[in-house]
Amino acid sequence: MGHDYKAVQWSPFKRLYDAALALGVLSFIGVFVAASILASPVEAGGREAAAPIQLLIRATGAAGFGLLTLILAIGPLARLTRTAAPLLFNRRHLGVACFLIALAHGSLVTLWYHGFSDLNPLVSLLVSNPRYDSIRGFPFESLGLAALLILFVMAATSHDFWNATLGPRLWKSVHMAVYPAYALLLAHIFLGAIQNETSPLYPLLAGGAAALVAGLHLTAGLKENAIPRSVARTGEWIRVGPPHDIPDGRARIVTPPRGERIAVFRDGARIHAISNVCRHQGGPLGEGRIIDGCVTCPWHGFQYRPSDGCSPPPYSEKIATYRTRLVDGEIEVEPDPLPPGTPVDATTLPEGRR
Amino acid sequence: MSRRPKSPPEAEADPFFVGWAPAAPVHRRTLLVSAGATLLAGAGVSAAIASQQAPVGPGGWDTQVRSWTGWLQRTPYPSLLIREDDGALRTAWLAGMGKQSVAPIIPEGLSGAVTVQGSLIARGPHRMIAGTGAPDWIAASPDAPPTPDPGYEEEIGAALIFGEVLDAKCWFGAMKPATGKTHKACAALCARGGLPLAFCDERSCGDALAAPLFLDADGRAHTADILPFVADPVAARGTLVRVRDTVQFRVAVSSLRRV
Repeated sequence: MGHDYKAVQWSPFKRLYDAALALGVLSFIGVFVAASILASPVEAGGREAAAPIQLLIRATGAAGFGLLTLILAIGPLARLTRTAAPLLFNRRHLGVACFLIALAHGSLVTLWYHGFSDLNPLVSLLVSNPRYDSIRGFPFESLGLAALLILFVMAATSHDFWNATLGPRLWKSVHMAVYPAYALLLAHIFLGAIQNETSPLYPLLAGGAAALVAGLHLTAGLKENAIPRSVARTGEWIRVGPPHDIPDGRARIVTPPRGERIAVFRDGARIHAISNVCRHQGGPLGEGRIIDGCVTCPWHGFQYRPSDGCSPPPYSEKIATYRTRLVDGEIEVEPDPLPPGTPVDATTLPEGRR
Repeated sequence: MSRRPKSPPEAEADPFFVGWAPAAPVHRRTLLVSAGATLLAGAGVSAAIASQQAPVGPGGWDTQVRSWTGWLQRTPYPSLLIREDDGALRTAWLAGMGKQSVAPIIPEGLSGAVTVQGSLIARGPHRMIAGTGAPDWIAASPDAPPTPDPGYEEEIGAALIFGEVLDAKCWFGAMKPATGKTHKACAALCARGGLPLAFCDERSCGDALAAPLFLDADGRAHTADILPFVADPVAARGTLVRVRDTVQFRVAVSSLRRV
């Protein structure tokens, strides 16, 4: 578990990121409202534009869906290219912003379409359309409400406090619900707003967004699977390769016949092997590098000493370590993990092989 | 967590992003370029989505409260018959400020000429007055001439129309847009509240100027039986009837078919 928690850890980079996020959301909504008014026909009585609240309902709906698409695209993009790593770092703020936009959308819908009557707006939201047996008539509002509830749970538990409290595995499972939420939103759009419109642009854009997200995940998954699962040689040990094939401070990832992947790091003349899975959010440690003597996760910068898999004090995260050895000029790693935090002697390279 | 070690010199040669460490110029550049590209793409998509929206129609709600004097009609929905400058009688339907009928707040026994305080919702030839609901929002107007003769009914003919049952208040201009599935819940609340219903042809629900009043086969307001069909695409078979300046589409609920 981490040492302490603050509501938000700010840095100039994060401020820049959040400023760009705010500017992006505001400009999207602003352009939407302006373009809607400018595109509306002009008649004798003035422009026939939609009501301001209804414009905001549409703008926030489109912005929320677009932002969630972006959020889901960043993950696989960061796996496909290191260039995108800085975008991944602050993705949680994107998620919280997405929830707030979705909340604004849902609140405006509930107020405008379900309010001003003697029926409770929330009751109206749930009972106004009972046609669950029809695709065309399906009450799409319930799908949006379900997605909003998922986004709320994710936003509410986005802080590292909840990661540490729930444990990384459960926390990750909870946050994988973003995919069902995205599917619910797609259904919400296709069974709702798109049915009201005649332009083919809307199904093309929504379908294109879903195809983009699916395509990026598929490509990143194929890249992951391209790392072959190793076959044990020399008893149970796995051959990693010549030490000088691993750049200094970097790692090679190997996949044992069973269990989690192993990140084999070269730190100058020393070879260490640790679990490839960061305790924080499951980030790929083998894609990180050694900074200040610690393996540093590429996702959020969590650090571990390569010698024992422990985070440096005052932090308390631990990951599994592995034994390594040098055989015939090649590194080998034992596939069975040692308990998290177990110190292991590094394999020291002879002078000529450094 | 707070971790702020120095950036190692080799980071300059092999940039590696660490969120808590001072960002290398290349990472700031990545963020700015990505943000700029996303912003431009987002603005383009936003403009494209906005410009392709279906028309919302010409209606509007002038929220300024004014007075109208005319003759109160209670059926099929509360309305006011107003004498225009050219001498013609024109119907203005009466509604509440929300999604309720004004029928319950019209004093019992009130009839004949009245003055109404409210704001005007108008679309094409249609008029609706949203009463303020204040205690004196409607009052007898004894100085007005006697109530004119009730208008005679002129049957236009039988009709089969593919379209949508609308709540007239929203469609006249209280909401824009006021048709289709996204508006179904609102339309159902208005219908449930006893507001006038109308019927639009599916080809012009969005931008038509006029729509007939939607009544049952006997020319009365529909009951709650209509609620499941409100805002759904339906085929309606019934009779078109003209009463004064209003066209009515009289349809039995049993003859409605979803399409």
